[in-house]
Amino acid sequence: MKGRLGRSRGVNGTLVATAEEAPREADLAFDRLYRSSRDDVYAYVASMVRDTAAAEEVTATAFERAYRKRSRFDSRRGEPRAWLFGIARNAALDELRRRGRQAELAAEPADLAAAPAHESAEESERRLALAAGLATLAPRERELIALKFFAGLANAEIAAVLGLSESNAGTKLHRAVTKLREACDGAL
Amino acid sequence: MEPFRDNDLVAGLAALRPAARPAFAAELDERAAAGFPRRSSLGASPLSGLRARLRALPPRRLAFSAGAVALAAVAAATVVVAIGEPGTDSNLSSGYGDGVRLSERPNAAAGEESSGFLSKVSPLDSEAAPAAKAAPSAGGSSGVEQSNFNGSANYNSSFRLDRDIERSAEMVLGADAADVSKDASRVFEAVHAHRGIVLRSSIHDGDEGEAGASFELLIPSARLGDALAAFSGIAEVRSRHEATADITAPTVRTGELLRDSRAKIDSLLNQLSAAETDAERTAAEAKLRAERRHGAYLRSQLSSLQRRANLSRVSLRIESGAGPTAPGAESGWGVGDALGDAGHILAIAAAVTIVGLAILAPLVLIALLAWLVNRTRIRRGRERALE
Repeated sequence: MKGRLGRSRGVNGTLVATAEEAPREADLAFDRLYRSSRDDVYAYVASMVRDTAAAEEVTATAFERAYRKRSRFDSRRGEPRAWLFGIARNAALDELRRRGRQAELAAEPADLAAAPAHESAEESERRLALAAGLATLAPRERELIALKFFAGLANAEIAAVLGLSESNAGTKLHRAVTKLREACDGAL
Repeated sequence: MEPFRDNDLVAGLAALRPAARPAFAAELDERAAAGFPRRSSLGASPLSGLRARLRALPPRRLAFSAGAVALAAVAAATVVVAIGEPGTDSNLSSGYGDGVRLSERPNAAAGEESSGFLSKVSPLDSEAAPAAKAAPSAGGSSGVEQSNFNGSANYNSSFRLDRDIERSAEMVLGADAADVSKDASRVFEAVHAHRGIVLRSSIHDGDEGEAGASFELLIPSARLGDALAAFSGIAEVRSRHEATADITAPTVRTGELLRDSRAKIDSLLNQLSAAETDAERTAAEAKLRAERRHGAYLRSQLSSLQRRANLSRVSLRIESGAGPTAPGAESGWGVGDALGDAGHILAIAAAVTIVGLAILAPLVLIALLAWLVNRTRIRRGRERALE
């Protein structure tokens, strides 16, 4: 299992292994995947469910499901990050279905209001314009933005998560970014 | 203010990226280090635990486990069916096929079907059938003593302690083609030694499978057991059947009718001597002739019944070539029997599999359809969540 290392910062955990038996390859690979994807998964899920408590719950559920299914992962069928984000997406959509909410990918208003202390007026205005532009996007477009810029997935991984071809995913992403830029420019 | 450039957009989105609380990140790391223990394990039922374990299995291992379970089920069902199948025990274990079974058939069946000559009973003899049916199925010589007497009132009138039992036997011997003539001679010697009668015999020379001999014999019933034992010593016994039929009732009844007939003849003779006119004499002579014919018929019947009780009919055949047991083989079970048994087991296993599939296939199909419908419903629900 090939993973992108070092994306998530401050990950201290290591998957447990009994003293009697060495960790299996699947466990080691999942450990690497967890270390590299924890923060990315949370960022993507939080963008989907727009609720901190729900995002934490869904993130934990996603990793739990992935851990249970780790021996069923087939590297010939795709990248491990795409597989993990597919599980996270299903968990997030299940949460949205359960709550009967529509997905909204913008950050929570409370987060947007909490501006950094050193931020200038212009930076604050641009950030608010970006948040407003995100809010004008369709949910599927906002999900594309979240997968690309919050989770840091490559176009091929996004395509695998959403069940699209890579070129189709790239096209849709380009349209979403263009639409977001236009919306942000209009908000300034 | 300047419009958004790509760099501004990326930087701005990075600033908006949600970040996990440090406490949550630490908690998740702990859970990861512990192997993500199930949070709802307290309320989980054993069934849900089993389902989770099955889901965690790799598809190949799951398919292997399911195949092993199915194979074990088919094997168990095959064993149950094979053990419960009538006649399989002798076929599988003895290797004799229809081999040596001493009077396994009920006497009634033996009396009416198995022994061809026993089925040719006269109207008077028809009373033997219920008597034979009343006899227990143990058969053999022991069946004579074990005959019960639950017959009709008519039968009770002919109750006797010394029963008239008709016995018969069929025996097939296996021999090499070169030994058929010699074994046939030994059969003749055995018949004469036991004061029997050879009704019909036929001996064919030839190669293995063609050479053979057949005998229709009458053996004094009192010496039937000894005679059969002597025949068994001539060559390998491939099959042996014995049958008995209780003919006491028709014998007694025929004897009574004969006594009546004799009394009637005496009476007619008296009438004839007392006749005064030609017409009376002519009438008495006509009745006397008819009654004498009837008496002769009854004597013949009674003689036939007594002969059937005194002499047992034996049908004996000597076969060459491969039989259920190869001639000369020390073991009663050979390669041919093994192949036959294997084929039999495979046939049972195939039948069990087909029946199992016939039962399971619709259930699996329904479960598959339900799974597909549920999966489609969940997928659509997830997609709708984004609309």
